[in-house]
Amino acid sequence: MEFTLSGDAALTKDRGLVVFKKVEDAIIAEKVLKEANYQVRLVAPPPTFRMGCDLAVEINLVEQLSVERLFSEKGVNYLKVTPLKGGGELLDIVKVTNFKEATMVKAGNMKLTFDDTTGIILNVSGGGCPDIPYLSVSLIGRKLTEAPRPRENGFTLCAMMLDRAFVECLELWRKRAS
Amino acid sequence: MMLICGTVPIENLPLTLGEAKFEGESLSVNNFKIPCTQGTTAMTGAAFSVTDYLKLDPPQVLIVGDTGRGKGSNSLYEYLIQRLGVLLPDVLVLHYCLPNIALMRSLCESIRRSSKRPIMVADAGSMYGAKAAGLATEFDIFTPDPCEMGFLADPDASHPAYINKHLFEANANEGKVPELVATAYQLKSAPKLLLVKGAVDYIAREGKVIDTVSEPDIPELEAIGGTGDTITGMVSAFVYAGMKLHEAAKICATANRMAGKLAQAEVATKVWQLITQFPVVFEQMKIRG
Repeated sequence: MEFTLSGDAALTKDRGLVVFKKVEDAIIAEKVLKEANYQVRLVAPPPTFRMGCDLAVEINLVEQLSVERLFSEKGVNYLKVTPLKGGGELLDIVKVTNFKEATMVKAGNMKLTFDDTTGIILNVSGGGCPDIPYLSVSLIGRKLTEAPRPRENGFTLCAMMLDRAFVECLELWRKRAS
Repeated sequence: MMLICGTVPIENLPLTLGEAKFEGESLSVNNFKIPCTQGTTAMTGAAFSVTDYLKLDPPQVLIVGDTGRGKGSNSLYEYLIQRLGVLLPDVLVLHYCLPNIALMRSLCESIRRSSKRPIMVADAGSMYGAKAAGLATEFDIFTPDPCEMGFLADPDASHPAYINKHLFEANANEGKVPELVATAYQLKSAPKLLLVKGAVDYIAREGKVIDTVSEPDIPELEAIGGTGDTITGMVSAFVYAGMKLHEAAKICATANRMAGKLAQAEVATKVWQLITQFPVVFEQMKIRG
């Protein structure tokens, strides 16, 4: 067990912290993640990051989506995931662009476009993490109401942004249908 | 040799080094046929269209299956770190991979030790990793979209999902791109040349916009997955052919738009349909080797 954060500022930049209410939750979380082959470690977070106990798990932030999904599957209790550097809030702004007979929703670096008449997903663009090309193939050509949510099969922050765009598309489609 | 490195969305595809050939809907590498879709395959297909047109050696690719867990990405980087001094590419293109600061650092260290420094291009997850590692200045070209430009201009973000909101709002107004470019350059989060792909494409050198491309205007291209990847692939190949960085950027930004026009692009168009137009576009633009 390590009780300090990485001293190198550049090396901490892609790190995220999972914070917990109780020490035992942090220990269980570390065990679950290590068993699933995630490279994580127990750390003592700086005071500004403490919300519950004084123990946290340091993760590769880009894997936030899959870490949270694993916690949900294994019943691990945690308070939140936060980046070690920066504002700490995921982008929640979406932008909608209307094309002729199609709508594109942009969330962060991800864009998803669907057919206004059928609700079929026509295209996915943007992103840079390796699950995006895979998720694109699983989404394109399927109806919004029948396609799997990107957060179910994705692993990365790009997949998280794609999920935001997907949810917004689904809401727009349902509103129009009703 | 031009070496393109990235992941493909086929989980069990082993780490494979070989010659790439664009065959319409698919890309062939050694005995594998891989659908030419958004990501490394679209980028490689576009690069092939350039080398084929100019009658140059086709791109060599180092690809591996990875659907998001990062195992393939890490193995690709580890291979490169070990073998770069033997492969000695003239142009090295890093694309879809899970960002990893430690591996990016080791790779750049390996390049510094190599007897030949390649021209270095990064996009997608590799660009995220290079910026987060504080190594952007070691690269020659990045090809971000306006959101990713906001990410490069954010001193703290390690991924575009966590950029400061005011930077994301700024990129909605693409007129702010020159400011973002200047900020990224001051932060040492930009390479020698930036090609920012958007409604207007900005070409910036050393922190200053030196050119823009906005015609033909094909708004549907933004919705088509892989249209940024094609620009990155073409730029890399033209640079491999000996073209100057900014000239390659301008030609490719224009060629991508012209391919969209020729293909009568709609939002449902597939990226391989655009790639098939590139030889005609290059002919129309009178590009000669």
